[in-house]
Amino acid sequence: MNRFALVTFYRSLVRHKLYAALNIGGLAVGIAVFIVLGLYVRFETSYETFLPHHQQVYLIKNRWKLVGVPTTDYDGTMGGLLEELHQDFPETVGTRLKSYQISVLRNGVATSEQAALVDPSFLDVLEVPVAAGDARAALRDPSAVLLSEKIARKYFPGGNAIGKRMTFSINGTARDYRVAAILKDVPRNTELDWNIVTKLVPNQLGGPGWYHWGSGTLNTYLKFATPADAAAYARRLPSFIDRRGAHDMLGHPSQSLSFPLVPIRDVHLSRPGSKLTVTTLGLVGLLTLLIAIINYVNLATARSGLRAREVAIRKVLGGSRSALVRHFLGEAVATAAMAAVIGLALAELVLPIVNASGDLSLSIDYATTIPPLILLALIVGVGAGLYPALLLSRFPAAAVLASARTPGGGRTGARLREGLVMIQFALAISFLIGTAVLFAQTVHVRSADLGFQRDGMMIVKSFGSTDLSEPQRVSLLAAYRASPSIVSATIADTAPGDGSYTNATQMFRPGQEQKDGPNISTISIGKDWFETYDARLAAGRFLDTAHRQDDLGTSGTNPANVVINRAALPLLGFASPQAALGQTVIETGQNNEKLPRIIVGVIDNIRFYAPREKLPGMMFRYSTKPFDYTVAVVRYRGGEDAAMRALRENWRQIAPQVPFEATTATRNLAVYYKPDDRAARLFAIGAGLAVAIGCVGLWGLASFNTQRRVKEVGIRKTLGASSTDIVKLLVGQFLRPVVIANVVAWPLAFVAMRTWLAGFDDRVALSPLYFVGATLVSLLIAVGTVIAQSLRAARAAPAWALRHE
Amino acid sequence: MIRLESIQRRYASDEVETTALADINLAVAEGEFLAIMGPSGCGKSTLLNILGTVDRPSAGRYMFGDRDLAALAEAELAQLRGRTLGFVFQSFNLIDELTIQENVALGLAYRKGAQGDKRQRIEQAMDRVGISHRARHYPHQLSGGQQQRAAIARAIVGDPSLILADEPTGNLDTENGQQVMDILTSLNGEGATIIMVTHSPSHADMAKRRIDMLDGRIVSSVARAI
Repeated sequence: MNRFALVTFYRSLVRHKLYAALNIGGLAVGIAVFIVLGLYVRFETSYETFLPHHQQVYLIKNRWKLVGVPTTDYDGTMGGLLEELHQDFPETVGTRLKSYQISVLRNGVATSEQAALVDPSFLDVLEVPVAAGDARAALRDPSAVLLSEKIARKYFPGGNAIGKRMTFSINGTARDYRVAAILKDVPRNTELDWNIVTKLVPNQLGGPGWYHWGSGTLNTYLKFATPADAAAYARRLPSFIDRRGAHDMLGHPSQSLSFPLVPIRDVHLSRPGSKLTVTTLGLVGLLTLLIAIINYVNLATARSGLRAREVAIRKVLGGSRSALVRHFLGEAVATAAMAAVIGLALAELVLPIVNASGDLSLSIDYATTIPPLILLALIVGVGAGLYPALLLSRFPAAAVLASARTPGGGRTGARLREGLVMIQFALAISFLIGTAVLFAQTVHVRSADLGFQRDGMMIVKSFGSTDLSEPQRVSLLAAYRASPSIVSATIADTAPGDGSYTNATQMFRPGQEQKDGPNISTISIGKDWFETYDARLAAGRFLDTAHRQDDLGTSGTNPANVVINRAALPLLGFASPQAALGQTVIETGQNNEKLPRIIVGVIDNIRFYAPREKLPGMMFRYSTKPFDYTVAVVRYRGGEDAAMRALRENWRQIAPQVPFEATTATRNLAVYYKPDDRAARLFAIGAGLAVAIGCVGLWGLASFNTQRRVKEVGIRKTLGASSTDIVKLLVGQFLRPVVIANVVAWPLAFVAMRTWLAGFDDRVALSPLYFVGATLVSLLIAVGTVIAQSLRAARAAPAWALRHE
Repeated sequence: MIRLESIQRRYASDEVETTALADINLAVAEGEFLAIMGPSGCGKSTLLNILGTVDRPSAGRYMFGDRDLAALAEAELAQLRGRTLGFVFQSFNLIDELTIQENVALGLAYRKGAQGDKRQRIEQAMDRVGISHRARHYPHQLSGGQQQRAAIARAIVGDPSLILADEPTGNLDTENGQQVMDILTSLNGEGATIIMVTHSPSHADMAKRRIDMLDGRIVSSVARAI
């Protein structure tokens, strides 16, 4: 691009400010959206990359393929798995990590903290950076502890935490620990977010499940030098499972259980729906940029005729076609470069808003962002500028110089522009439909009937603390039931939103093969459970204290009574709730023993977990004896604050040494909705801006076209056309591609949204109203964008219009 | 210098074929000042465009010196234009975003190779036509006559061997038109070959030879008695 080209370009921008603003502004917004959503994609796809040699680390997942439930992967494996792997494969390099909620005891106050109990090999596998101290030695000493920098600052604000002592309670045992090392704080893009690390002592946590195949107690990580080594190791695992799992599992264990080795940086995206969300938002960023590029092409080609004379002169003066193409490409790249700078500034400005609305912590690292941004400006400039450059340089000098009127690009040019507007609006309408469906789904899951009354319900999470004794639990329950704020209180081994402890077992009918029985979730419940949840009875009755056989703890050798949910009916072969009443089913015990149960009631389905998870078949067992894990749930009257105060006061009196933690059922369930809420908000922001860019382009195009048709308007009015006829003519010109765009947008959006919604077990229907609504909105937007100019042109006096050139 | 042999130019659209030039034979010697006249639509501007290589004939041969221009590719023709031709148009065709000095300098922008002292050439060209005092102004700030003089400066800044002028005085009043013709005559006197299309008989009389065209053919060729 020579000096004259730069000068012409700059002065042209200054002279045609509106056009420059539309073009550069539209590209800048497109680039800003691309940058922000690109940052999100980069954040989500870079989990655990802060670990040195992360590409060598794999998480062993538990994959269960059982009758009656979808194949499901779990992060947790049996506690003793790594030991058994070492025995069969001595070359195994691995480590274990058990996430644990512990109580830090200080000055009589207990504070809950997230801890990780790990093997001494932890830092050999997960090379978390160390800030101070001998971390490896600390992991061999069960009385030593490693703190994160953040926690060290919290408990030792003066610094120098190393050598100091702290008291923790783990699994009910309070002990002193010496702070031996400090670990560097981890970034936000990690699932390894614990603040206190100490040596895993199996005896502390063992229990009967430690070596039980089928349990999921902790995370097991393996390290391999190369992916080929990992793949070779994985191929040996099915025979290992058959060999070792046979004492706890029937038939061929490897047919129902497998251990996929997942690279640690892929674990985050292996969560249901995560990959689809990240891909979708990445696509939104890309398509928004495409819409902005289409804007540039449309405006540049529409206005190309204005530069025809300049092109002809340059040709006459000796400019070759290739020189002119380079000239106009240079202008496009310069425009894209300016837009990139403005886009970067815009992205920086809106990031705090995006972070707040999406609960993210995105930031621009200029060192790694600027080089790709320069490349992006080049690609966008060439991509957007190529066609206009070829078009402009093609103007025949002789014809242009002989003609009094500026060329308009002809019918081909007009059809191309219409086609580009159609593409823009097809994308925009798809985005509108997507936004409507996403928000409908997020509203639905928050208000859907979960089978129980979620409002007015509080979950006391700390009730499950291993630091709480059984007498304390009994006292607490009695205190809650006596409290005026509490309507009813109960316990169970799971609660809404609490996916940390789930049990399932194989059940079968008498005469059926045990191995063919479906997997049914088992919920252990206490007194008043059904009343507290306000569960709905479909047939039979609830379990209660009046029936001795209802209590697993006192039923003795007689079959205990159970209640099942509707989802369990087809799995167990019952045609209706009534058909199940009085029927016997066999539950497979922990040691494969056969435990008969009699169904006395069927309730409507209750959804405890994420809307993406398939609703399982459930069996409820009542017991007055303590369970392995307990969480208390209360139904309260009056305000939430008063109820919380009552719970906390009772807790402080009865169990002051254990940190109190409670939340409402609504808030506890919200954890499941958060990722999809965030995705919906980001999608809406991107989609809204994409539509805005499309409108800006449409406005510019309408403005230019309307100006060119002023003389035609004058002629039509002279021939008898009314202002309404003119408005219909001008607006109709732009409505046509928008209407046609729906033919493309509807199937596109239908496939995309059906794919999205397929990831939810509890989902809204894909109603035609979303599509019709989006179409109406897009038509209104298109009309609104061009109507003002059309009205102005329609009102022009014919005499003036006829003189206009 | 220039020889046109049996040149034809036809324009074809969907249903109609128009013959703008039908069998033109013309020779122009070096240093000649040729005027072309004829009614509107007779093919004068088409002939000038072909002479200026901004249009290609449908048939016939165009020899420029000893080069047959039909054999040249588009890029080579562009180079030829930049080096050897200068154009002056009826509607001036200056670029609005450039100053007068920059417009004149544009006449050298597409030339390859060393061009000596560009600045000096530009200044000389502007002096030659008497427009130096408006060097930093934009075209819209000048009168018609001044703009045409700036366009002539652009046409001659590269020392072209042939100057093509398409109705150079068509948009000017008598006085300005005469000034422009004086400049062209003076340039011819210095050896420049000039081919000019004009509607004005008095301006055509200032040329050394005049050809008349009608319906795409040359119907007469008259040398002016000197």
